[in-house]
Amino acid sequence: MALKVLTVDDSKMIRTVVAKAFGPYDCEIFEGENGVEGLSIAARENPDLIVLDITMPVMNGDEMLEKLKGQPSLKDIPVIMLTAESGKENVMNIAKLGISDYIVKPFKGEQLIERATKIVNLQPRDENDSAAGASTKYFSLDNDIHILVLPLKITKPIVVEVEDQMRTRIKEMAKLKHNKFVLDLSKATYTNMLLMKLIISIIESCRKSGIRHRVVGPSKINDELKGFHETSDIQIDETIDEAKAKF
Amino acid sequence: MEELKTLDLKASVANSMQEVFNTMLPMEAELIDAELAEIDNGNRIVGSVSFAGSVMGNVNIQVNEVFARLMTATMLGMDKDESIGEEEVFDVIGELSNMVGGNLKSRLYDFGFPCNLSIPSITSGGHFRIESKNWARRESVAFRYREHTMLVEVYITSNR
Repeated sequence: MALKVLTVDDSKMIRTVVAKAFGPYDCEIFEGENGVEGLSIAARENPDLIVLDITMPVMNGDEMLEKLKGQPSLKDIPVIMLTAESGKENVMNIAKLGISDYIVKPFKGEQLIERATKIVNLQPRDENDSAAGASTKYFSLDNDIHILVLPLKITKPIVVEVEDQMRTRIKEMAKLKHNKFVLDLSKATYTNMLLMKLIISIIESCRKSGIRHRVVGPSKINDELKGFHETSDIQIDETIDEAKAKF
Repeated sequence: MEELKTLDLKASVANSMQEVFNTMLPMEAELIDAELAEIDNGNRIVGSVSFAGSVMGNVNIQVNEVFARLMTATMLGMDKDESIGEEEVFDVIGELSNMVGGNLKSRLYDFGFPCNLSIPSITSGGHFRIESKNWARRESVAFRYREHTMLVEVYITSNR
């Protein structure tokens, strides 16, 4: 069973570095932008390891750690703290927080893995999983048509994950010389700005890569998309079969 | 103030930025004479952090937009031709200034000058000048990666 790793940092750059570092290992990565999100994800997912930045808006790393330690179900989750300050005072203050280890930015992914290996049992990802994907969680393949099914509710970590997988999937499609793509919004009934932005991002990626695309969803989504300039001309199909037939 | 003059600010900043190039930004950037840094082509992006306490000052990292996008693409594992959002570029430049500022803060503390660091801020556009006033020391460090240059400036003064 995949290890769960939660990375909490307001910088997408750092979260990406952390996610990439754990990429070759059998891990599921969760991301939070601040301490509040981090606590929420930790409570929901009960990760095996948390990689936590100190300085963040909304709630910083010290405060999140304090709250983690105050919850019986979460207090024993090992934490590796990230800091931009290498000075003795800072290191001593961090050590007092009861963390498993710390790492100073900038760092190489290998350095983080070296620390993590001492704390959790990292296993290499199955090669078949690596090749297929990273990009299979939301995707499926029907002959030469690639289908992306968005989940019920879109959150920021899901946006990051889907966009990352979309990039990989587009490269895979190019290698396979496939250019048919269906975006299935039937499950994504909880509409918010993140969903709209993600749809726009996906459509733009397809257009830029010359991929023929159809969108499937309920009429409610159709009305929402008409309200945005970037998606006002998108035709919505009611079913996957209808979308496939129109290629 | 005399002690501040003996602190090798330039080396501290240069080593810090070189460390970034060696680790998170796998780019072989070379240290060049700051006078040779040319950042004026097109739009520029400046990441800044300030520090205050027993010393006060600013750290500014200045690049042109093309280089900023290249660094962002490299950092995030994207194709340089892929559509990169302004938010992502600002995030990368902001984090770079945070790391350089954080390292400088640690050096200042070890030298007997404790201070606090601000959150990073970003300035971008085509025609502007960044200046700090009443500094006691100013150091500039520049790097070149292929045809791109980066200028890192530190302004500092004692509060004692």
